[in-house]
Amino acid sequence: MTSRQIAVLISLLVALAAAIVASLALGAVNIPFAQVVDILLGRDAPGPSAQIVEVLRLPRTVEAMLVGAALGVAGALLQGALGNPLASPDVIGVTGGAGFGAVLIIILYPESIALLPVGALAFGLLAAAMVFVIGFTGPTGGGIGRVILAGIAIASLFAAGTAALMAAYPDRVPSAIFFLVGGLTSTGWETLKQLWPYFTFGFVLAAFMIRPLDRLLLGDDVAASLGSKPRTIRLLSALAAAVLASAAAAVAGLVAFIGLVIPHVVRLAGGTNNHTYVVPVSALGGAALLVAADTLARTIRAPIEMPVGPFLVVLGVPLFLWLLRKAV
Amino acid sequence: MALRRPSQPPDPDAPLVEARGVGVTIGGTGILHDADLTLVPGELLAIIGPNGAGKSTFARAICGLQKASAGTVKWSGRDLSGLKGRELARLRAFVPQRAQVPNGVTVADAVRIGRSAHLKPLQGFSADDRDAISSSLKRARMDGFEDRLLSTLSGGEMQRVQVAVGLAQGAPVLVADEPTAQLDLGATAAVSKMLRRLVSEGLGVLLIVHDLALAAAVADRLIVMSEGTTIATGAPLEVLTSQLISEVWGVEAELVRHQGRSGLHVEWLEGDPAGGR
Repeated sequence: MTSRQIAVLISLLVALAAAIVASLALGAVNIPFAQVVDILLGRDAPGPSAQIVEVLRLPRTVEAMLVGAALGVAGALLQGALGNPLASPDVIGVTGGAGFGAVLIIILYPESIALLPVGALAFGLLAAAMVFVIGFTGPTGGGIGRVILAGIAIASLFAAGTAALMAAYPDRVPSAIFFLVGGLTSTGWETLKQLWPYFTFGFVLAAFMIRPLDRLLLGDDVAASLGSKPRTIRLLSALAAAVLASAAAAVAGLVAFIGLVIPHVVRLAGGTNNHTYVVPVSALGGAALLVAADTLARTIRAPIEMPVGPFLVVLGVPLFLWLLRKAV
Repeated sequence: MALRRPSQPPDPDAPLVEARGVGVTIGGTGILHDADLTLVPGELLAIIGPNGAGKSTFARAICGLQKASAGTVKWSGRDLSGLKGRELARLRAFVPQRAQVPNGVTVADAVRIGRSAHLKPLQGFSADDRDAISSSLKRARMDGFEDRLLSTLSGGEMQRVQVAVGLAQGAPVLVADEPTAQLDLGATAAVSKMLRRLVSEGLGVLLIVHDLALAAAVADRLIVMSEGTTIATGAPLEVLTSQLISEVWGVEAELVRHQGRSGLHVEWLEGDPAGGR
């Protein structure tokens, strides 16, 4: 690692730590930092502050970290696998599918709102599965153009379904907006108890794809020379990304931007395209950004909670544009 | 690989590569048929032939990059179809014709990627791997370029990096598809000298090459391909007769070798009613 890459890594670690402390301390009730540390270490007497930190804020902070990391990794995997800087969970249909699945529950079965994460996850994975079947099967399957075009077509299909539902039940649309722009809620550990296997599977598979994706960086022929099958690398990387992005959507709705932009920020700041660096550091960057943005979204008009999506963009775009202009 | 079911052991007496009757069919069209080839250690074998004769397809089929529809390929006596990816990667390195030049990747990064065939998933590099990486850079004359980004290299430098990536695989055979096709005279000579040096160190090199004069100068042996099959093999001067050049390329020409220099004397415009003078 170059000193520049180490500096980026350390800055992100510091940013994440600061965001976590702020996220646990700040909110409708502000709790002093020292007390937060005591509560986490179990040194503080049980009381309302400990309740707030342990029951409400800690699960939410962990959710924000996992979702941010999952989306950062999903974007890095897809951009590497498809060799395309515009790739993000949108291009394999996950965002469109998860949006449809959630809106289906919110609008048609509002009495079963507890099923929302399941709906988002199931339809996100269904959309990705459709893209994989069309994009990767057959003798000429696995080409980048085919996968991306299949993804865009399937995403449009689910977006049309979402739009149709919203048009048919306009009075119920407001309750879907929070999901569609992306937002976290303080609902304890329940959602994570359902979804941790998906996050685990996605992160573990992603770790195994790092080195194969580096080979793909040198071209399909070099990857093949090294004994990898380019089509398999693309499929497995996209699978890991689909699972991570679907699980993220199930927790936090359609949080856009992180999957597309965080890997670019990491590449530009670190000056490298190596997945050994880009994938784990994108996880760190995504986690730091989402925890920070969620804290802002909760506190800026407390006790009203804003959806986190727009705050991400406000925090992230200036940084991204600055790096983009600095890059040669 | 101690963990795997022991597969057929390599046979030290077998040729590095032995291909017999190889055929390739793509989408119902026969691209290659009955192609043969043998490569031994310390030999530079060049495949020559006109555009579309099937040179690249043959090399890719031998290397397992293209599915063959007929024939057998053996690497050190082991059948290609029974070799797993990582085993094959240690038997041969394939250097593609057009290098992909990614942004944000240094020379050292690229050669490390070449070494990754020796690692299990998630395993780090050992001291031996690091030695192999630095010696690959030295053998390809790219030491000192470690921290340069690939995107800042010249065509000749990039080609030498590609060879270094292949050498890092630690395979006894290097297959290079037209490594000098886009290089100028000086860079072509540098790459040729490097390949000859690697051959003298014992490596088997299979080279696909367009330029007949260059092939005659660098190769120990030539294989001529025409219309999807191998039609002749032997020492350059024996194979590249004026008659064969005329039959295969449809051009009147003569290969001339003199004091280590080789050239092709070509009747460029003869026989064309519009061009003849």
